[in-house]
Amino acid sequence: MRRADRPIVQLPAPLVWGFMIVLFCQLLFHYSSQQQHEAAYQPLTNPLQASTYRGISMGSDQLFGYLLAIRLQLHDNQMGRHFSYNRIDYHRLVEWLEQISEINPRSEYPMLLATRVYSNTRDKEQLRLMLNFVERTFEHNPQLHWRRLTEASLLAKHRLRDLELALRIAEKLTLQPAKVVMPNWARDIHFLLLADMNEFESAIAMIQALIQSGSISDPDEKRFLESKLLDFQQKLFESQQSGKN
Amino acid sequence: MFAQTIALFKYLMLGILSRRLLLLTLVLALLSVLVGGFFSELAIINGREIVVALVADFLRYALGLFALLVITTSVAQDYEFRQFERLLTMPLARWQYIAAQVLVIGSLCLLLVLPVLLVISLYGEWLVGLYWASALWLEIFLLGLLGMLAILSLEKIPLAVCFSIAIYLLGKLSGLISQMLAESVRLSDGSLTSRFVDFIFGAILYFLPGLESFADNDVFFGNVDLLETLSIQFSSTVIYALFLVAVCLVDFYRKEFNL
Repeated sequence: MRRADRPIVQLPAPLVWGFMIVLFCQLLFHYSSQQQHEAAYQPLTNPLQASTYRGISMGSDQLFGYLLAIRLQLHDNQMGRHFSYNRIDYHRLVEWLEQISEINPRSEYPMLLATRVYSNTRDKEQLRLMLNFVERTFEHNPQLHWRRLTEASLLAKHRLRDLELALRIAEKLTLQPAKVVMPNWARDIHFLLLADMNEFESAIAMIQALIQSGSISDPDEKRFLESKLLDFQQKLFESQQSGKN
Repeated sequence: MFAQTIALFKYLMLGILSRRLLLLTLVLALLSVLVGGFFSELAIINGREIVVALVADFLRYALGLFALLVITTSVAQDYEFRQFERLLTMPLARWQYIAAQVLVIGSLCLLLVLPVLLVISLYGEWLVGLYWASALWLEIFLLGLLGMLAILSLEKIPLAVCFSIAIYLLGKLSGLISQMLAESVRLSDGSLTSRFVDFIFGAILYFLPGLESFADNDVFFGNVDLLETLSIQFSSTVIYALFLVAVCLVDFYRKEFNL
């Protein structure tokens, strides 16, 4: 049976006044803390070690790794506001990405965040940090990460305008053994970049070695290589002629 | 004797089954789908795998807690309404009550994992759904037995629930705690206190279920041998369940009831 309530007017006055003051303080405190949160950007905290996260995950390591990656992905959106990537501490971001990769080594998510999300920064140093991370992580599992390395090579070429770095990254793809299955175009990036750097002799040598090795069975790929070979030979000849003149 | 145990099981089971139980299970399944839907919007890649793993884990903990509450409440009511005293005046042995409760826990877990099988199979492959339902049955069954032991010993629902959750989490977080203690020993240059605490926790671990007793969530992400994983969990659960039942029997036989 429901107990009947006494009317509020019958309550002791100090109790009512005390309640009103406490309620006002609560509302004021909540409002001011909300204002502070809305105004300020909360920077990334230091990540814990991967082994600690594994322990916290209670056996669901991979799921926890993905959830951490999603949390990191949402870091630039705080209290309904989007913050520029320039405000993010990229050194700490790399630490986060490394820990997530260690928790979940079979996932492409951290590499994808590096090449597709956090590469969209205007700061070249920040972009360089992302590319270095991709380059390092690729070594752990080339078969899983070759796509991200090709993206990193293209980012180095087009966004950083650093052909040396792009070439170094592309070379890693070319040097992968045949057991690392990837399309031919991924390995072709290396000689295309060599040609961009006017290193036609090296590019020609690479294409010739590829054709002579007999490893190219696809007729379209073979045709593409032959056309590039002719193109580079022509350009080399032209550059030699212009050098003589 | 067998017929008596089955009759007691039916009686106890009827006390648990209700529309509310069915409704709550369905609400939990629906809630898991909604949570999963939210995360599928956020994930850039592997959205389906992340969602199904998340739904599976959500259901694991929600249904585990739910089963624990149902079981402890059921046994607590037997204490409250002096059911034990009434049962002991009948030609029933005490082990028959424990056996009937074990059957109740098994049946309840089966009822709870059926919607899980459906939900996981809808999201992913039915074989993985079947694995998860079976593995979850084993996990919730173990948690239920832990709840039964706790309520038989402690007789109060809040105490029993807290104790069971503590043991469950201690088992699940044993890796993290061991790591912290090992680190503590290293940082204190092998001080006696740290080594003693590490030793005590090492001893406690012998009485806790290991991580292999729980369903493996990694099955949603890669090539895991489902049968092998399940068989390891099954053997580990059987041994720990027998241990829990033995402790329950010892504790229950030691209890004095005013007949």
